[in-house]
Amino acid sequence: MSYPFSDDQEELRRTVRRFLTEKSPEAEVRRLMESAEGFDPAVWRQMAEQLDLQGLTIPERYGGAGHSYAELVVVLEEMGRALLCAPYFSTVALAANLLLATDDERAKRDFLPGIAAGRRIATVALTEHSGRWDADGVTLEATEAPAPATQAGGAEAAAADGGWRLSGEKFYVPDGHVADLVLVVARTPAGVSLFAVRRGAPGFAATPVPTLDQTRKLARLRFDRTPARLVGADGGGRPAVAEMLDLAAIALAAEQAGGAQRVLDMSVEYAKLRVQFGRPIGSFQAIKHKCADMLVEVESARAAAYHAGWAAAEGDDEVPALASLAKSYCSEAYFHAAAENIQIHGGIGYTWEHPAHLYFKRAKSSELMLGDGAYHRELLAQRIGI
Amino acid sequence: MTKDRARGTVQRGEAGAFRRYVREWVRANAPAPGGPYDQWERRLLGARLICPAWPRAYGGSALGPLDVLALAEECARAGAPLVRRGVGEHLIGPAVLEHGTPAQRSALLPGIVSGADRYCLGFSEPDHGSDLAAVATAGEVRGEEVVVSGVKTWVADPHRANMVAVLCRTSPASPARDGLSLVLVPLASANGVRVRRVRELTGSAGLGEVRFEGARAPLSHVIGGVGGGWAAAMTALSHGRAHEAASAHLVFEERFWELVRQARKSGRSQEPAVRSRLAWAYTRITLMRAAGLRLAARIAAGKDTGAEAAVAALARSEFERRFGEIAVDVLGAAALVRPEGAGYGLSEWQEALLAGRGATIGAGTGEVRRNVLAERVLGLPREAG
Repeated sequence: MSYPFSDDQEELRRTVRRFLTEKSPEAEVRRLMESAEGFDPAVWRQMAEQLDLQGLTIPERYGGAGHSYAELVVVLEEMGRALLCAPYFSTVALAANLLLATDDERAKRDFLPGIAAGRRIATVALTEHSGRWDADGVTLEATEAPAPATQAGGAEAAAADGGWRLSGEKFYVPDGHVADLVLVVARTPAGVSLFAVRRGAPGFAATPVPTLDQTRKLARLRFDRTPARLVGADGGGRPAVAEMLDLAAIALAAEQAGGAQRVLDMSVEYAKLRVQFGRPIGSFQAIKHKCADMLVEVESARAAAYHAGWAAAEGDDEVPALASLAKSYCSEAYFHAAAENIQIHGGIGYTWEHPAHLYFKRAKSSELMLGDGAYHRELLAQRIGI
Repeated sequence: MTKDRARGTVQRGEAGAFRRYVREWVRANAPAPGGPYDQWERRLLGARLICPAWPRAYGGSALGPLDVLALAEECARAGAPLVRRGVGEHLIGPAVLEHGTPAQRSALLPGIVSGADRYCLGFSEPDHGSDLAAVATAGEVRGEEVVVSGVKTWVADPHRANMVAVLCRTSPASPARDGLSLVLVPLASANGVRVRRVRELTGSAGLGEVRFEGARAPLSHVIGGVGGGWAAAMTALSHGRAHEAASAHLVFEERFWELVRQARKSGRSQEPAVRSRLAWAYTRITLMRAAGLRLAARIAAGKDTGAEAAVAALARSEFERRFGEIAVDVLGAAALVRPEGAGYGLSEWQEALLAGRGATIGAGTGEVRRNVLAERVLGLPREAG
């Protein structure tokens, strides 16, 4: 029985951890979080060329490595642990998952190989002013323009010359300012539909917004009669969006589990070294009990993320319930652990120079993104039939 | 789900073949609800499905933990009672298997499987609850016998037992742990063992005090040798915890859905606060099952599970307490009233609330469990003392 991890998965974990230890140390995280782009293009290329990370779960016929979601959970856990600054969540957990969830074979063939090869950064623009994380909140309109007949000539030309035009705004779009490809969830007279917009399309503007968590960049996107290519059937976007949201929630949960483990490690390490009143603070029960509670929550968070990733790998019917379960549990566990980490560190934990605040901010941003614990508990209640 | 993603390397259920077999077997042999228990027990015995994890030489089927779980889940699914031998099956048997001599295994284990010997655990004492290494009950070796004197408390279900496993001090001069022995003592007033039942705050008396006044046991009932009691007791407790961790979700799952039915009936399942609490409880139960599966897989692979079992035990005990609170909160006003009748009878949910207080005290308080996790798993320094 390979639950939760096979030896291959442990090998993958070691490889990714080694890579990230080298490429995403704290100094690098701090440099990139202050930069406008928020990632290092050279590292992004290496992630694809050396480790196949962007194409990990993309099937081989679209240029990927064809691994299961259980492997992706391992990779994301390590990325969360290292606070990696890169458009990975947006490209893989949002865009690639959304494309794979559609039945648009042409779009998959056009877009996925570039994603897998690390040549194309992609994201999904779903959320609007309302801050809603579901398709029901979408108001941005797509209209079918009296366009010239479809031209032959590959993905880019098709995207630019499709007969659809988008107008409106999207908010809270992860890495929207650096994405080469934006998959936009919009509304047509037929209902919720998906559209592909390339960077530089007429009437399209992506502006980075200042973020509480500087390690994860968000953008505001404006569309003004922007040409867009319909992905999947007109009005048929809902199931794909729903599936993507579940898989993205599992992805965030995996990052959260990795981050939570890292802050627990930091706390324990510090509690062993820091001496007050003539003894290590880790010998005080007040500190021990905090750490023990964090340990239980971290272990449970990991179990939740693995369990959901495992179900996703198997295409299990329980994925929607387990995704919400994992997102709600991991969100709260990570935030609690990150907050306790600051408290255990005391004064030094309250400074900018110490990394505790980087994790605290990431914990809060990933808690709020895609809906917080309470939101997902309600979804879970619905999904198990309460 | 697209099938693209489904062709991963993860496979579920090598326990699948046994699960199919046992599902069929349970279907063919289980009694009708409320049916004859004796016959069901005999059939299970015949199929070696009592103490199923034990070696075949001692009546078991040498099932791995995942198969044991499959048996439990299939019985639950069919509404058939699981026949377990409690402390004997999950604590004493494993200690005898690991620390006993071949002669002790042959002499002691069959009685547990058949149900002839029913064990309770005499570990805690009035002055030594969580601090087991300090137990003071005396065990004096006289010739071929051990003579036990002292008092054990917080013993679960002593009135149902005919044997008590006693952790006692056989060599007062040795330092704490080295002077202890694990002795299996016949629990009978004729042997100088007296049980006084203790009424708990739930009103019932599942717990008891067991008093030893020169109670005798043959030396062949000392597991792990004289002075080897600490290791044998720890084996017993860690097996108990692993079993608990691997199967705890079963009971909670059943009770959870019963609570959901109650909430639907009263209409409270539509209240956001109630829905949130129920979803939270479901989350914890699901994670308990996931942790149990993982633990079972690690046990099956022969890996050390001490740390994980200890984490799972703290999580389970805290959840048990919280589940009782959630249950009565979900019921609301209905939880104010006890069932009619004499004495202090309780509804299932009132019982859960009150018994939940014991969950974070028995078998190590929550505070001690946290200290143990912090020191042994996280490696934090011991308290200055």
